[in-house]
Amino acid sequence: MNAVTSSATVPRSPAPPPAGPRTRPVPRGGGPARVSRRKRARTGWFFASPALLTIAAVTVFPVLFSVVLSFADVRLEYGGFRLLSLTGDHYAAVLSSPEWRHALLFTFGFTAVTVLLELVLGTAAALVLERLGAARGWVLAVLLLPWALINVVAAQLWGYLFNGTYGGLTWLFEQILGHQPDILGQPASAMGAMVVVDVWKTTPFVAIVVLAGLMLIPGDVYEAAEIDGAGAWTTFWKVTLPQLRPIMAIAVLFRILQAFGIFDLPFVLTQGGPGTATESLAILGYKTLFQNLDIGRGAAVATTSAVIVIGCCLLFLRVFRTQADEGGRA
Amino acid sequence: MALRRRTLLAGGLAAGAGLTSGCAGKPLDSLLTQAAHVPRTPATLVWWVSEIPSRNGPVVADLIIRAFERRHPHLRVRKSNALSTTDGNRAAVTTQLAGASPTPDVYLGDTTWPAQFGANSLALPVQTLLPKDYWSDYPAALRRVSEYRGAVYALPFFTDNSFLYYRKDLLAKHGLPVPRTWEELLRTARRIQRAGDAAYGFLWQASVSESLTCNVTEFLADAQAPVLDDAGRVALSGPGAERAFALMREFTETGVTPRTVTTYAEADSQDAFTGGRGVFLRNWSYAWGNAADRSVSKVAGRVGVVPRPGFDGDGPRGVSCAGGWSNFVNPNSQHLGAAVAFARFCAGEEAQMILLKHAGVIPALDDVLTRPEARRVGDPTLTRAKELRLVARPVQTPYYPQVSKALYTQANAVTGGRATPAQAVRAARADIRTALEGRAL
Repeated sequence: MNAVTSSATVPRSPAPPPAGPRTRPVPRGGGPARVSRRKRARTGWFFASPALLTIAAVTVFPVLFSVVLSFADVRLEYGGFRLLSLTGDHYAAVLSSPEWRHALLFTFGFTAVTVLLELVLGTAAALVLERLGAARGWVLAVLLLPWALINVVAAQLWGYLFNGTYGGLTWLFEQILGHQPDILGQPASAMGAMVVVDVWKTTPFVAIVVLAGLMLIPGDVYEAAEIDGAGAWTTFWKVTLPQLRPIMAIAVLFRILQAFGIFDLPFVLTQGGPGTATESLAILGYKTLFQNLDIGRGAAVATTSAVIVIGCCLLFLRVFRTQADEGGRA
Repeated sequence: MALRRRTLLAGGLAAGAGLTSGCAGKPLDSLLTQAAHVPRTPATLVWWVSEIPSRNGPVVADLIIRAFERRHPHLRVRKSNALSTTDGNRAAVTTQLAGASPTPDVYLGDTTWPAQFGANSLALPVQTLLPKDYWSDYPAALRRVSEYRGAVYALPFFTDNSFLYYRKDLLAKHGLPVPRTWEELLRTARRIQRAGDAAYGFLWQASVSESLTCNVTEFLADAQAPVLDDAGRVALSGPGAERAFALMREFTETGVTPRTVTTYAEADSQDAFTGGRGVFLRNWSYAWGNAADRSVSKVAGRVGVVPRPGFDGDGPRGVSCAGGWSNFVNPNSQHLGAAVAFARFCAGEEAQMILLKHAGVIPALDDVLTRPEARRVGDPTLTRAKELRLVARPVQTPYYPQVSKALYTQANAVTGGRATPAQAVRAARADIRTALEGRAL
């Protein structure tokens, strides 16, 4: 992250040559030197293989197997399951399903709104934090509390606040509105509640990332802006924000990936309701796989979600890079 | 590089073949042969069991295990603690079973699971291992939900029956009888609410979950409106179904039920009732223990319990959804004979008497409910269980979760005022048809 930010502000200097025995150049050419290089490579692979195999077992294999399942006619039998034949039926069923389209729409909407709000509020919080003196450490610690909470625990806490019988927020709104609100029981308010919880929980993450970016902006840039007579707003829009753009891109990327996979909040707060109003793609995939026991379609929901979110991230990076290039040329 | 690619491809194909054919099916006949005999050699079974509500302290599952081990000294049973929620439980146990894990040997599962688990080979069909008159001692509704296409996939353990809980003190104060119809309940609740004696009239469960499907099943049975016909096709339609949906709407429209009921599961409605906020509560039999417990209930000693009301007219009264938990046998168990013996023991008289004396649930065996011990326990849900008309949810399909979702989604919409009863019935009918065709997610 620092490298991305600093590349825009600090001129690159050639990296110093590494010290110690590793600086010894590897002899080039054939014969014994080539054999030695191969031997070293084999030794390297040997030592790296446990880690590589572990990574393959816990990440690559499940992902690939999930993709295989999404294209397979899976039959559960006494003694296990069997993959009978290749089929595209699961994707046809998923893509033509109104439930999937609704879940996709909700997930897109939730991601767009929460990421935007978190970016705005996180940046604002980071600007305030940067100007704090000795208190910054304490404020930072308090700010990080929501982020440090386990998602399910946070969702459960908010669930108590929204509870229709004894919830603190329900009581508060009842005093203001004059009637008992049904916060999690109506689609609009349930979605709003979920956005509030996610923003409360994740804004600190964006704030910390942006703060790191702010602290890397060299002071002389601001001095130059001041000499040129730029005001606070102009400095923010013309100096701070462009300098923050790379680190913000990383924060947004992380947040898109997380928000698109939203599961725990609707699972704890609404179970996807009212109706199916807050049913995200992850919840739909879970229900298809573990409630309906439909392995093929569940895997297809998971795979389509992964493909869509990867596509969104690539698109975002492309747009960001284009803008950065244009900014650089300007 | 080409060699490496070929090696990788060959390795991948070998691994793929292993994954797809290494899990080949086992013939059912050989499994049933193994299951027919209790082994004489020592064996340890694993029983997947969630916490059984205890009436007086001891861990009920342990009492049953000890009783079984006394009968079969060479067999041991080890508990595997399951999750407390039905859906969480299903997700966890199916992950193990689909991977052909030999444990748990026996698992306690919801009465809605048999068709789905049977269709997916996750439970052993045990009908050939049972005497012909086996089910004559258990409720007929329990038999219906345990079967799928003539095969029995679950052995009875305990049932969850629903009742109407009411505030005796408030009815006495207003000189009102316990309502026998929903119309009467609406009038009674409104009167007590208007007098300011209770915030809520009738508390029930309408969150988007299986809890709401149970409530809908009961309201539909009150109105004599079936969800599926005998051939398993969708039958939900007509004035009966609309009457049931209209009642749910009327509860919230009139303020007898709080609008927040659309987020209520059992615990939420029970908390509101034991907190003294409601006049009536629909809940399972276990709620009696909590309502009567002074340490958790503000209304302990002031609560009565009766079978649920029905609609005005000739319709049925005392309808209860046939809920509960049964034991399933894992077809991949290494100890099938012992597993079947344990599941049958749990359904037998000795284990059922343990449930009667120590558990806050209703034993599945009809006979024990009429024993003097049942009266001595002092739980009216036990002594009144025989008065109930148990109705099965539309579980005769492996697509039951989708059917249930179609029901609870629309019932939630009508209760929350987002659809009219007629719209909700039409939409539920269409969604159930899609579900039965295997097209719903």
